[in-house]
Amino acid sequence: MDDSTRRRQQRRNQPSSSTSSTAPTRFRSQKFSTNPTKTTQSSNFVPRSNTTTGTTRDSTRNPAHIPNWKSEANTATNKHEEETEAREDVGSIIGTCPFMCPEGERAQRERLRDLAVFERLSGDPRKTSPALAVKKFCRTISLKYVQSSDVRPLAVLEDTLNYLLNLLDSSEHPFEVIHDFIFDRTRSIRQDLSMQNIVNERAIHMYEKMVKFHVVSHQRLRSCSSSSISSLQYLNLEQLTKTLTSLYIMYEASHDNNSVYENEAQFRSFYVLLHLDSKNQQTESLSLWFRRVPSTIMKAKEMCFARQVLRLHRMGNYKRFLYTVSSEASYLQYCIIEPYVNEVRALAISYINNCCYKVHPYPLEQLSKLLMMKELDVESLCHSCGLETLTDNGENKSLPMKQTTFSFPKGSLQSYKLIGLQQ
Amino acid sequence: MAYPSMGEAHRRITDYLNNFSDAVSYQDVASLAQLFSFSSNSPPLLSVADALNFFQDANRLIKQSEKFSQYGEILAPLFRSLQSYRTGNLVDAYHAFEKFANAFIQEFRNWESAWALEALYVIAYEIRVLAERADRELASNGKSPEKLKGAGSFLMKVFGVLAGKGPKRVGALYVTCQLFKIYFKLGTVHLCRSVIRSIETARIFDFEEFPRRDKVTYMYYTGRLEVFNENFPAADHKLSYALTHCNPLREANIRMILKYLIPVKLSLGILPETSLLEKYNLLEYHNVVQALKRGDLRLLRHALQEHEDQFLRSGVYLVLEKLELQVYQRLVKKIYFIQKQKDPSKAHQLKLEVIVKALKWLEMDMDLDEVECIMTILIYKNLVKGYFAHKSKVVVLSKQDPFPKLNGKPVNS
Repeated sequence: MDDSTRRRQQRRNQPSSSTSSTAPTRFRSQKFSTNPTKTTQSSNFVPRSNTTTGTTRDSTRNPAHIPNWKSEANTATNKHEEETEAREDVGSIIGTCPFMCPEGERAQRERLRDLAVFERLSGDPRKTSPALAVKKFCRTISLKYVQSSDVRPLAVLEDTLNYLLNLLDSSEHPFEVIHDFIFDRTRSIRQDLSMQNIVNERAIHMYEKMVKFHVVSHQRLRSCSSSSISSLQYLNLEQLTKTLTSLYIMYEASHDNNSVYENEAQFRSFYVLLHLDSKNQQTESLSLWFRRVPSTIMKAKEMCFARQVLRLHRMGNYKRFLYTVSSEASYLQYCIIEPYVNEVRALAISYINNCCYKVHPYPLEQLSKLLMMKELDVESLCHSCGLETLTDNGENKSLPMKQTTFSFPKGSLQSYKLIGLQQ
Repeated sequence: MAYPSMGEAHRRITDYLNNFSDAVSYQDVASLAQLFSFSSNSPPLLSVADALNFFQDANRLIKQSEKFSQYGEILAPLFRSLQSYRTGNLVDAYHAFEKFANAFIQEFRNWESAWALEALYVIAYEIRVLAERADRELASNGKSPEKLKGAGSFLMKVFGVLAGKGPKRVGALYVTCQLFKIYFKLGTVHLCRSVIRSIETARIFDFEEFPRRDKVTYMYYTGRLEVFNENFPAADHKLSYALTHCNPLREANIRMILKYLIPVKLSLGILPETSLLEKYNLLEYHNVVQALKRGDLRLLRHALQEHEDQFLRSGVYLVLEKLELQVYQRLVKKIYFIQKQKDPSKAHQLKLEVIVKALKWLEMDMDLDEVECIMTILIYKNLVKGYFAHKSKVVVLSKQDPFPKLNGKPVNS
């Protein structure tokens, strides 16, 4: 934690770069090396290291940053960190750094004792090694000042990513610490990729893995309890969205070359699921976004699932929503949907409370089946919503109807297990 | 491409320069505008372009006389742009045109009256169209298209120039509409907000002062934004304004407005006549309307599927999906009427079983629990008045007005 706060301090103190790209870069389609309909390994969350030789140089459209010519000092809070990478039409870099961390940075951070716990040799905060040090994310002023020896080529980036993701299995440290480290270092990986304009199948797979990391963190951070969690969650969601957007641009670029990516439908579905919220801005974004998704993707299974979930959520059809989610959601999709599950349940309780016959309280047993929860959890949720429950002589619990005290619980809802969740 | 002789080329270019200079001197906006209306592809303009490509040294001609050289900053890039346009080099044509436009704006600012506004409109239009074509050229060469975005930035500047107290301010709405077209094309509609704010809240603007054509276009686009945000009463207001003020002879425009107004009206419980759909070729909505009339959920789903691509592209898909609840309401209402005919005294009690049967008949497989769920939603959102007796699995309808009409209000959230 010490490292991360110090790092945040450093970020705050660095002058914010004011150059950023307006334009995605060009890509040279004749150098595009992917084969059409190449089958890909279904990436497990714990990635297998790819043995690859050589780097293929391909270019991409990078996420279009809205130019921020005015801001000089906008790092008032962490929340406004921006990646500012200059995109110049001149050319892109070819990285030559063979290590996970450039030597110069490694030596400097050793001297400054700026080493994360994972980077320390035998726990010594002053010592690291090429096997442990990983390049940090930092703002680059301009491509002009970056040395190619500081940038890692594709193969090194792949190995670095795999190394980082393996750390997720570590049980030595609390999840927030692991997350924070991987969060920063994968951001640096993305930076190196975009500086070199690498867009090809391998880069796409890397982005997919990084999206997965953010999605799983999205869920796991919810069960962490440290004080900085909500800011970590916010930042994680921000990067999840950015990484997804970049991934979509890469998919779109590759459509022109007739490449098909197995996972595209699922990764597209994440966007829909991230916009389940019924605030108006979301429908605007979704309606606009749908326009650009290829028809084949829209009709694919994973997208149909997401669209159905969206429809059910917008309608308030809690029964079918819960049923569909529990029977069809993939693990990653569920990670994103989970917060909505309990929101929908609370909504269901409010509907039922409002519409049912006053004289007969609603049996919790029935309610629990309907809402796919344990009875005790139903009771707890009712109470969180300001409603009373009754217990009769024979231990049968029920919810009296037409109570006027319903209110949505403030703050994030506690997660109750979804009974029947198939994963 | 016609190859003029040197002398002929010289003459054409000099004539053009004279036309430009005279137009400015005599404030002849119509003649002026024609000189840079590239997309018109008018023969005289193209022949000047040919002359320029042949002559290759037009700058010398510009400098020859004070009459022309005073506009040198404007004319030189204009010529370059025209040349590139003629040779099909759209990216270069765009770049040069933007330079020309910049220089023109500087001059425009100095002219006190608004005489040149129509010319400015032409520039705003041409820059957008050129940017679109330039982007197509970039994309086809494997480069990323960014000129339209640049055109947007440029037009924001133009907007700033017009947003003042003088008579030029009535031009701001036209420029706004060009910006809307750009943002909608790029999908960056959130950028519309700041310019909308300026138009609607700045004191210098009086909406009624703007030309009618621009008001219609403005309401069309802002109406569409309201549709995206599912703000139906506002969408209805704006799109209806556009419809009533639109020139009735402009059938294509009316069709475009109706394409968005119809889903809005449907969401407010107002159904169009089939004759309207036929007249304006909007028959993709026909089955949707029928489904609402008949309470036929299967038909609605089918209609959405049949025209899915079209509805997704125009951005009304999610709006139409949401009509499901109204279809359910209609279905339940029909069941109620049938029961009323059989036995009026018991009609207000609807057994869930009966609804399940009706849905099965429509090939919609739903169990009791789900039907119960749907009924609670309908009651909660005031599409059905009554309550649900869960013990007996019966919906008890209110004796008075059990199926309230929407009457122009959207379904409660």
